[in-house]
Amino acid sequence: MNKKSMYLSIGLITMILGIMLAIQFRTNRYIEQGVPADRAQELQVELSKLERDSRKLDREIEDLSYKLEQAKKGQLQAEAAVQDELKKARINAGLITVSGPGIEVVMDNPSNQSRRSSIFIIRDEDLLRVVNELRGAGAEAISINGRRLISTSEIRQAGSFININLERVEPPFQVLAIGSPDKLKSALEISGGLVDYFKDLGIEVKIQSHSSLTVPAYHKNLQFNYAKAVRKG
Amino acid sequence: MKLKPFHLALALVGLALGVLLSVQFRVTRDTMNTPQISRVQTMAVKVNEARSERDRKQEQLDKLRADLDKIAGGAELGPFREDLKNARIEAGLSEVQGPGVEVTLNDSNTIAKPGENPNLYVLHDEDILRVLNELRAAGAEALAINGQRVLAISEIRCTGPTILINRNQRLTPPFIISAIGHQDNLANSLKMRGGVIETLQFWGIQVNVKKVSQVTIEPLSGGVSFDYAKPAAEGQKLQ
Repeated sequence: MNKKSMYLSIGLITMILGIMLAIQFRTNRYIEQGVPADRAQELQVELSKLERDSRKLDREIEDLSYKLEQAKKGQLQAEAAVQDELKKARINAGLITVSGPGIEVVMDNPSNQSRRSSIFIIRDEDLLRVVNELRGAGAEAISINGRRLISTSEIRQAGSFININLERVEPPFQVLAIGSPDKLKSALEISGGLVDYFKDLGIEVKIQSHSSLTVPAYHKNLQFNYAKAVRKG
Repeated sequence: MKLKPFHLALALVGLALGVLLSVQFRVTRDTMNTPQISRVQTMAVKVNEARSERDRKQEQLDKLRADLDKIAGGAELGPFREDLKNARIEAGLSEVQGPGVEVTLNDSNTIAKPGENPNLYVLHDEDILRVLNELRAAGAEALAINGQRVLAISEIRCTGPTILINRNQRLTPPFIISAIGHQDNLANSLKMRGGVIETLQFWGIQVNVKKVSQVTIEPLSGGVSFDYAKPAAEGQKLQ
């Protein structure tokens, strides 16, 4: 074997070796990055949410198709179909009084008047947190002292008062929430949860489950000056 | 045959090559067969399918609504139309557009000093709640976070660096809150002295308010449906 061919073969083999090494390293790195342990779980959560959305949409499509069919039959049926559609939208928007199982939360400022610094009175943030917790536990309709909370409702400190839907509410605050009473109740009463927190502040919280309670409708007129619905379809 | 040094070198290289090859094959096979990875891949495909199916259904639903509205276009049904339009906006069923603001929130750049609680410099669900509340008080007509409509039933929950909204929809920072309403009122309500922005900026949280002439807010995917709340019977006494 002459020297030239020897160098050539060694050169070739070394090159292949180099390529192999490179691939090897890349593969290894890929595995190390791998997939975070909770990735699969995350996807599962997303999947079940999408499926739930799809099922809801199916129901809506079925319902609307039926209404549309009815509406094509004549003016009277068309009117009924639109009325029905309107009612459904109004329920979802919070414009209709609803009733169902749920809980009643009553919160009051500490009775001890001598300690009446502003730290120990219920502020807008406290109510916001209660409401957020109830929403997280699946509350479908919530009112505070008879004011229904809709998507644009604020709970806002104005001096020593709290405004809800631009109206003054005063303690004691009675929060009504419709949903699964057990879930709602345990969301607030979980150890280290809001009830514990309020107890530490000296704020009294009473929670009561009801098999049926009524949450009033949003009683003002809805008006959209800026937001316009976009036509689709 | 006489053993030459280059024979030895060749043998060594060949050996190394053989070992590498076998490792390579094993690793590659393992990668493909790891249950975790194959499961995630199947799931990712499933998620994508489910998403496009949902979007298709949403489109179908939008079309059905439009059809019904067309039928409702008759003079007799006129009075309902405005009510229907407003109720649908409020219920999160319609896509809405209008002037408004976009508020971008992100965690603080400040590095906590030793012994300090780093939690103070992180964006919390309460901060977002307060910004939303302030915008509502300033007359916002429609709100969304990262494209997710915020409705009367929308919760905001902190889970690590991400937040959950609308029953387990996960959002990651930066959080962009879109609000439709009077631009100046919305912006000023946040920027006022002692207001939300000042408080947040004290902790170094990055807040940026931008007026936008055309904010578009998508409807809530899947819409709202109530399992517990039913319309109250007429004349029922309020508690």
